[in-house]
Amino acid sequence: MKNLDMNQLLAARITERQDNLYRLAFYYVKNQEDALDIVQESIRKALTSSNKIKDAGSIDSWLYKIIVRTALDVLRKKKKLTVADDETIEYLRSGEEDHYPDLDLQKALEGLSFKYRTIIVLRFFEDLKLEEIAAVLEENVSTIKTRLYKALQLLRANMTEQGETKRWKKN
Amino acid sequence: MEKELKDLREEYLQTPIPKELKDVVQAALNERPRKKPRVGRNILLSAAAALLIVTASVNMSPAAAKAMSDIPYMEKIIKVITFVEWKEEVNNSSAIIRTPAISGLENKRLEQSLNDKYLSESKQLYKEFTDSMAKLKEGEKGNLSVESGYEILTDNETILSVERYTDTISASSSTESQFDTVDKKNEVLLTLNSLFKDDRYLQVISRNIKEQMKQQMAADPDKIYWIEAEDDIEPFKGIDENQSFYINKDGKLVIAFDSFDVAPGYMGAVEFIIPTKVISGLLVGDQYIH
Repeated sequence: MKNLDMNQLLAARITERQDNLYRLAFYYVKNQEDALDIVQESIRKALTSSNKIKDAGSIDSWLYKIIVRTALDVLRKKKKLTVADDETIEYLRSGEEDHYPDLDLQKALEGLSFKYRTIIVLRFFEDLKLEEIAAVLEENVSTIKTRLYKALQLLRANMTEQGETKRWKKN
Repeated sequence: MEKELKDLREEYLQTPIPKELKDVVQAALNERPRKKPRVGRNILLSAAAALLIVTASVNMSPAAAKAMSDIPYMEKIIKVITFVEWKEEVNNSSAIIRTPAISGLENKRLEQSLNDKYLSESKQLYKEFTDSMAKLKEGEKGNLSVESGYEILTDNETILSVERYTDTISASSSTESQFDTVDKKNEVLLTLNSLFKDDRYLQVISRNIKEQMKQQMAADPDKIYWIEAEDDIEPFKGIDENQSFYINKDGKLVIAFDSFDVAPGYMGAVEFIIPTKVISGLLVGDQYIH
């Protein structure tokens, strides 16, 4: 019976947080179709292993965890599949430039590995606490703290580097 | 940088949410979960345990087996029971493997070969699970979940169709199914080839499946099948004689595909019911399919 209640609770949380889950999935794959796939697949996984939830308070971070894993998995599979020619890449790149106002930071962020990017996204975009991020990534809090610090450092370094190249190009 | 991060956050929060999301979420939530609710499973388990004793005594003593087959009602009961169940949980990983066993067939060779196959495949699965657990370093969490079980799809006077499935969930999840259909009267295992006069059926069924795929895609834009070559995806070319199939309760032939076989992962495992009028001219007879 307990499990049944948990499933209802889980379904309610999923329905409520669906936009957040989708956004996070989209952040990784950058296209609607894959993002929807990820959300659907993640819900399936969540429902089949709902007995692993220890307390109701951890549902959200647990859901994020599944999304992140599924998204990375899709990206891994895609890597093997998609080969884009130079033209497509050039096109996509220019499209991106039109789209993001905060180009320097955006680019600096894209330059980080997913290990660091996920932390930035969860901390600053999804407003998760360090403890929650630790739960999502299954690391201890101090590791997350160090990684977040490192990520911010890398971001700053990347940004100055880009800024300098720009200035240098202008001259 | 704080400010810039905030701007990026705004940008992130403005990720357009497609209107399909609601439907996708609802559909996924309403899917029938593979695991049975707890209460049901316990009943199933005790029933299985009771049957296990019966099987065990049949297996252990030929005299008991003889005595049982002398009892008129016990004679012709062909059924599927849970023969062995393994459960294991290590760190964050779990495996539940239920092995079916068919009993009551007079053709003991067929019964034995099916049951041997079921058991050896389950053993293999269990071994793979423990092997991958052993590879993990001490204290590391595994997050691998394997669930294997079976479902009786059709059980009527003529045929018995059993599906065995394996759900593997690690970083990704996948479902694989295998099907066995037994003719209960003649006590033989049915193959696709044995149902048809010659191999013309391969083309006819393949063509029908492609038509069904096209119709479904036209009727519902959310459905996608790989019919035409796209990117690096291998399109669906057609079935072969080893294609998974079963015969459903209505006596219709059903062709089954694992997830990722003919459609993207979100479509899951897909099945096609072949209308009998399409294949009626090619069938050996109408005792199974009608």
